[in-house]
Amino acid sequence: MQRRSAARLGPLLLLLLLPVAWGAGPEPPRADGELQVSSRLAGQAARVALHYLNYRLGSPSALRALGQVRKATVKTIPGIGHKYYLQFTTEDYKSSQNVGTCLATVLYLKRKPRPAVNINCTYTKDQKQTREDDYSFYKKLRQQTKPITGNDIPDSYGHIEPALEPAWALAVAGSSYLMWEKSTENLGYFMAQVKNVKQWITKDDSIDFDYLVILHEIPTQEMISCHLRVIWTPGHPLKVKYFCLSENQQSESEEGSGTESGSTNGIFNEEEANF
Amino acid sequence: FVADEASVEKVKELEELQELQLDFWRGPGGQDVPIDVRVPFASLQAVKIFLESNGICYSILIDDLQVSALVDEEQTQMISHHFMPRSVETFNYASYHTLDEVTAGAHPLTRDPPGSESSIQIRGTKGWYPLHLCFSMQFSTGGAKRPAIWIDTGIHSREWITQASGVWFAKKIVDSYGKDPSLTSILDNLDIFLEIVTNPDGFAFTHTKNRMWRKTRSINSGSACIGVDPNRNWDAGFGGAGASSNPCSETYHGPYANSELEVKAIVDFVKSHGNIKAFISIHSYSQLLMYPYGYTRTQAADYQELVGSSSHPQVAALSSLYGTRYRYGSIITTIYQASGGTIDWTYNQGIKYSFTFELRDTGSYGFLLPANQIISTAEETWLALMTIMEYTRDHPY
Repeated sequence: MQRRSAARLGPLLLLLLLPVAWGAGPEPPRADGELQVSSRLAGQAARVALHYLNYRLGSPSALRALGQVRKATVKTIPGIGHKYYLQFTTEDYKSSQNVGTCLATVLYLKRKPRPAVNINCTYTKDQKQTREDDYSFYKKLRQQTKPITGNDIPDSYGHIEPALEPAWALAVAGSSYLMWEKSTENLGYFMAQVKNVKQWITKDDSIDFDYLVILHEIPTQEMISCHLRVIWTPGHPLKVKYFCLSENQQSESEEGSGTESGSTNGIFNEEEANF
Repeated sequence: FVADEASVEKVKELEELQELQLDFWRGPGGQDVPIDVRVPFASLQAVKIFLESNGICYSILIDDLQVSALVDEEQTQMISHHFMPRSVETFNYASYHTLDEVTAGAHPLTRDPPGSESSIQIRGTKGWYPLHLCFSMQFSTGGAKRPAIWIDTGIHSREWITQASGVWFAKKIVDSYGKDPSLTSILDNLDIFLEIVTNPDGFAFTHTKNRMWRKTRSINSGSACIGVDPNRNWDAGFGGAGASSNPCSETYHGPYANSELEVKAIVDFVKSHGNIKAFISIHSYSQLLMYPYGYTRTQAADYQELVGSSSHPQVAALSSLYGTRYRYGSIITTIYQASGGTIDWTYNQGIKYSFTFELRDTGSYGFLLPANQIISTAEETWLALMTIMEYTRDHPY
């Protein structure tokens, strides 16, 4: 496919199209150009990039949430989809402390399966420390003779039992894979709660959890239940399998099953020529 | 307002119960005529139970008739303590409470010494609802139909941080009157209406069965699914894009606008009051402050004022306390297209300063915000509310 000359006219188009971009509503933008940093689409794309990052890093001590979008532009790739170029700050998932900035591209494909993400971040937390934290999570979990089980994490009051924190963090990391896969330009996700967790004690050196997680879907406001299987060894890509059903839709059942392990996936990059 | 003849008859029955010693200021007349009753404290519980069991939704107004006549400062102090139940000192604002606890904690009348009185305005409803109660609080230092500010929390029941903040706001108002010059001058000129548990059925359900319940609990004919999204049920772009026509959906708009008791009660109140000048509806989560519109991309006529003079200062005030960052903008550009929303309707009614908040956090805990964040969230939100209330006071229209 030939690249359109639109790319060369980019800067010029940007100036002309700014007023149009201002009025852009919640639907995918009809015109290319700069987005308001406060716009839903910019935030949503940034979150998709972070889902991908959290999944790829597979580090429960280094989970990141979106801080603020600093800059966002969108480009239409004809016949392919919309590509977002983003700059945003990140926060530690639990403490909300600022932990660095990211540059990312998110390409929403007209044909699925999932958004293509490229992301690079600075990280202000001590990486040695997070590795050690991960390792001490790991050791604690490996030392379980009785499998960890739990319900409602956090509970109704937002409380997480300290003993269940590692399991919760791994659920966030595992759900990130699932949320990355399910996200579209218009549908975004948050992990609302771990309804249920059950640990499998393994003979090898991996940590193995079975989860029922609840995702909050925007803008539908639906709570989606998903079964999640997460297998973790620190320093290795997370292995995730999932199966979702939609609680309220009695007529349709959404089924999704991703069975890839991180390392065999390949890294999505900017080469549109591949599609 | 009594919406049908059956309810009028019910209220007339109340009149007959002489032992209650009810004093009807304005007796039950026809439909749509508000009924004002002064109820001695001793009879309060009996009246409430009667009304609730007959599906009549009522508002409890706190209107200490003595305050308006008051000049003496010492007496002012006494009165503001008189408002509050003794239990307020022991009420734990840093934790989440059930419907009954909120009612007891925020409702100053349940613990007031015998002999104190309050005025109750009664509204009727059509049909039967498994409703616990519908109540809003009025904070007033007198006057008749003063320009007023409306604040509601808990319209979406799973957004627990909002009801918890609402209880804190009630205490803050009473604590600040006579002490904080700005709040005092606000209340000397305006009334404040605060509805804390705007969706009581939903709230009860989040405690007993499903913590993630959002909608009302009304029965949808022809469907096994229950509930209507009360923030899609208002008469502003009702039924348009941004709401669902599927009763099983979380954004189901309902069979028609104002089909939900919870919504109709507010609509009736706003229309009959006629002098509400600011309307703030509080949700969670996402850390956003928004103004109309949600149902259309057309910019609100007062857009410039809503952004520059109001949104920006509100968000700045909020951040000043703990550094919590909010975004602001119109509903449709900031969050998503939503039709039949509360503040779109109130704005179209002429209530210029119509805002909606999405409180903490931005998704890590979401609806399950830890209780240890309640007070800081309420405190910072209060600064934004003070900003809009001061602005409303200073910009009469």
